[in-house]
Amino acid sequence: MSAVEAAPRVEGRSNRGSTTWMVVPALVLLIGFFALPYLTIITMSLREASTRAVYGEGFTLAHYTTALGDFYIWGILGRTLLIGATVTVISLLLGYPVAYHLAKSRSRWTSLLYIFVLSPLLVGLVVRTFAWMIILSNNGVANQALQAVGLIDFPLQLMNNSLGVTIALTHVFLPFVILPLLGNLQAISPDLAMASRSLGASRMRTFWKVTLPLSMPGIQAGTILVFVLSISAYVTPAMLGGTGGRTMSVLVVQYLVDNFRWPAGAALAIIMAAVAVIFVGLYLRLTARAMRRLP
Amino acid sequence: MTALTIDRINKRYGNLHILKDISIPIGQGEFVSLLGPSGCGKTTTLRCIAGFERPDTGRILFGERDVTRALPEQRDIGMVFQSYALFPHMTVAENLSFGLEVRKVAPADRQRRIADVLAMVRLEGYDKRYPRELSGGQQQRVALARALVIEPSVLLLDEPLANLDATLRDEMRFFIRDLQQRVGITSIYVTHDQAEAMVMSDKIVVMNAGTISQFGSPREIYERPASQSVAGFIGRSNTISGKIAEALGQDGYKVETPCGSIGATGPAGLSKGAEVKIMIRPENISTRSQAASGHQQGAGAEEAGSGENVLAGSVVNSVYQGSANQLAVKLGSGDRVIVDVNGRNPLEVGEQVALRFAARDTWLLAS
Repeated sequence: MSAVEAAPRVEGRSNRGSTTWMVVPALVLLIGFFALPYLTIITMSLREASTRAVYGEGFTLAHYTTALGDFYIWGILGRTLLIGATVTVISLLLGYPVAYHLAKSRSRWTSLLYIFVLSPLLVGLVVRTFAWMIILSNNGVANQALQAVGLIDFPLQLMNNSLGVTIALTHVFLPFVILPLLGNLQAISPDLAMASRSLGASRMRTFWKVTLPLSMPGIQAGTILVFVLSISAYVTPAMLGGTGGRTMSVLVVQYLVDNFRWPAGAALAIIMAAVAVIFVGLYLRLTARAMRRLP
Repeated sequence: MTALTIDRINKRYGNLHILKDISIPIGQGEFVSLLGPSGCGKTTTLRCIAGFERPDTGRILFGERDVTRALPEQRDIGMVFQSYALFPHMTVAENLSFGLEVRKVAPADRQRRIADVLAMVRLEGYDKRYPRELSGGQQQRVALARALVIEPSVLLLDEPLANLDATLRDEMRFFIRDLQQRVGITSIYVTHDQAEAMVMSDKIVVMNAGTISQFGSPREIYERPASQSVAGFIGRSNTISGKIAEALGQDGYKVETPCGSIGATGPAGLSKGAEVKIMIRPENISTRSQAASGHQQGAGAEEAGSGENVLAGSVVNSVYQGSANQLAVKLGSGDRVIVDVNGRNPLEVGEQVALRFAARDTWLLAS
């Protein structure tokens, strides 16, 4: 046989047009509550500051140039991204084994573990953050326990810095990495791992060569979710971050509410959004390389 | 020489006794099918051989080597799955290379062995394709190649043809059997399809509810089934109830039935008066219109001393099947018997017929 046979391809649905109207409701919502507000913020960020109204008459790029020339703001931007990256990596490292176990397990206790996984989302944001304050403060549960055991003589600085924010964000965003991964891992046929073992590969090799590459879509989805949620979180860094753990969203709200600098705050918000888009875009390109061979 | 020994293995899941004292000796180069309905334990047996399940008791030996406690990757097996289980993120060549890389085969050797095995499964030129670009039959051939390229000591096949359409399945039966004989590899084949087991196997293990109903060659199992359930599972069969009237030599018997006395063959040692069922395969019965045969209606069965039995009945149903007509004949006793007759010689429903079959074509089953 000289030429290889063409594999059968699934034909696209011919009546594709008839479902177009289904996107209309979501589109209306997106335009009304996402695109339009963003346009407003962009316009606002280009307005001159004013003391009598939210913003003045003329247009200016000054808010951007000032912000981008300010090392303090660069520092906070860097810290925000660092917290986001740290939370993402830790969530993935903690979440992958849980998702892996949930995908394999056929025990009746699995549903209980599901509830545990979802538990951070079942408690109100503010309540949960207060709980972390009780645990992480200088005379909180964690420090008292460590002192009682004798591991430390003076309380550790566990909050009002990046550490506290990172811990609390990891806690609440863990489900967002576990759930997409779980769906992904459950869709991988257990026969593949068995085939790998039958060919002589150890459990470890099977994981690195078969399971992990095939779970890249779940890793990608989960990590993007956690990263985007972490860098845009407000309540947790506002309550646990203090000045040492101040992030961009906290700074933006400070500009708007405390300082009444709406155009400058809007510019910060746009800078933050642009940076997030750039980072996610780079990440997508990077992970797409790892996934180019997947079906 | 025994290539593989399964020695009294037992497996329980909670209260379910999945495998009960399963023992199977498998010779070097033999093709053995595990045949049975779903839930009979055939897949569990295969998974015990592969190492994905560990039997609670009993041993599994590869040659002289006890592998009961060995991990799957330590067993030197090749396995083919119903789902093919090709790695979707690897090309055909990479799928084949996987097991060779684990075994640290040198790259040049790898390439040669991959090319050889691809030629063997007639997939030259497909090495750069991804599994999703192949048809089901091609994927199954790649799966077979992947299992064979590592030259394992045992090839395990778990219903490999179940996902293929009927025509392809027939083709692949002979393809796999031919390949297995050329390579000479000891193979264990799990299937619920008796026709598949019949045409492919050297030996068949008929399993039911965690036990072995019968272990033997396809011919033994078809012609000398050990029980009614085996007879019913393998091919079509008729049974007529009766009582042993007299033993004639080693395996000949005279059986008293409502249709008269019938000469039959059966396992040695059936005692007089024992309740038995006479099994006759439809293709072993010949028919003649009663008018032509000259026999009296309802006449007795055995023609004295000839080993031939003749039963009278009337045709109640006739189904055209192309190569043959399948007749249902109602005997004087009320039993219904299925008979295959030549399609060009139709008998009408309601016609009186004489059914003729030899004593050596029957087999007695304990009731």
